[in-house]
Amino acid sequence: MTLTHYAFSSSYFMSFLGLIFYRKHLLSALLCLEAMMLILFISLCLWGLILASTVFSAGPMILLAFSACEASAGLALLVAMARTHGTDRLKNLSLLQC
Amino acid sequence: MNPYVLSILLMGLGLGTTVTFASSHWLLAWMGLEMNTLAILPLMAQHHHPRAVEATTKYFLIQSAAAATILFASSTNAWLSGQWDIQHITHPLPTVMITLALSLKLGLAPLHAWLPEVIQGLDLTTGLILSTWQKLAPFALLVQIFPDTPLLITSLGLISMVAGGWGGLNHTQLRKILAYSSVAHLGWMMVVMQFSTSLTALALLMYVIMTASAFLTFKLLKSTSMNNLAMSWAKAPSITALMPLVLLSLGGLPPLSGFLPKWLIIQELTKQELGLVATFAALSALLSLFFYLRMCYCLTFTSSPNNLVGTTPWRLETKQVSLPLAISTSLSILLLPISPAVLSLTLPLF
Repeated sequence: MTLTHYAFSSSYFMSFLGLIFYRKHLLSALLCLEAMMLILFISLCLWGLILASTVFSAGPMILLAFSACEASAGLALLVAMARTHGTDRLKNLSLLQC
Repeated sequence: MNPYVLSILLMGLGLGTTVTFASSHWLLAWMGLEMNTLAILPLMAQHHHPRAVEATTKYFLIQSAAAATILFASSTNAWLSGQWDIQHITHPLPTVMITLALSLKLGLAPLHAWLPEVIQGLDLTTGLILSTWQKLAPFALLVQIFPDTPLLITSLGLISMVAGGWGGLNHTQLRKILAYSSVAHLGWMMVVMQFSTSLTALALLMYVIMTASAFLTFKLLKSTSMNNLAMSWAKAPSITALMPLVLLSLGGLPPLSGFLPKWLIIQELTKQELGLVATFAALSALLSLFFYLRMCYCLTFTSSPNNLVGTTPWRLETKQVSLPLAISTSLSILLLPISPAVLSLTLPLF
């Protein structure tokens, strides 16, 4: 395990723990998801650079495109939740627990 | 919903699963999973109801976190071994991470808490898609990586069976009960996965057929809770007579086709000298059988007090297409006699 690998793995786990344990706002969960996707982007870019593989050069762009779609879907859900629940606090997502 | 938008979304659903099926590279498999998730989100949130939006938000958070973890684990595998192939995943750390992430996507037992709540917030058609079609792509990946961690796989399966049976006991909402029954069935598939993947595929096929007939029947009867079931004799008498058989087939009683996968799985486990696991699995099926029996009781043996006008909705013609319901119901009741054919077809693969 190289130093680079350790660096982005630990930052991925930090943002994953943030997604799991910080449960106040939906926006912060979306930000943690976005941070995870950006760390994956860094990981894929560095993998292509270190192995000097030109075959994989489209991989990070595909990842970035899909993560942009995912982030926009998340923001749309944020708007929908603000319209139906009136807030973006995750504590309010309790209608279905029964 | 606009039919053009609906057809584009349904084609996106199909394309996502197909891409995951056809891929041998982890990035493409991840793309397929993401397309699946992104295509079903508008279907889930199409009724602007707070419950639908809440279910969609929960589903989005869970699925995107699990997909990101899958891609992270496969990129870790690529950093460690230089391979992106799905079949060549050898290091134990990425294997365990991918197995756990896929079980979060599927809703296997320690990670199943989102599934009943999400299904409870949806209408029955979207719930049907969520509990059948959306399971196929993660399950294809899970079968392909062929995890050589028998302890993790077996314990996930056993915990799923017990949690699925136990969780459904206390509920009166049909969609939640069906979600817990899905958890229990997935447990059966997981337990046998490391010995015979063809049995896993058979169990998945039977689960899809039986769940489809249950959801379509509840859609026909317009019932989402146990109370409504007591009125179903007045809505559709013939399907009310068949529905207990479908439910008992979900529970896995012998003359019905739900018994087929359970029988073969227990036989396979016994052949592998795992008598304890087989006994545990068979006993935990009793927990599920209890709530199926309670649904049968509400369907057939109870009738709510009613006036004369309220007992005649069977005269009204339903607008639902009845062919899928007919096919899936007859398959989920009558498939056991062809089990020798199934055995002889899949025996070379065992």
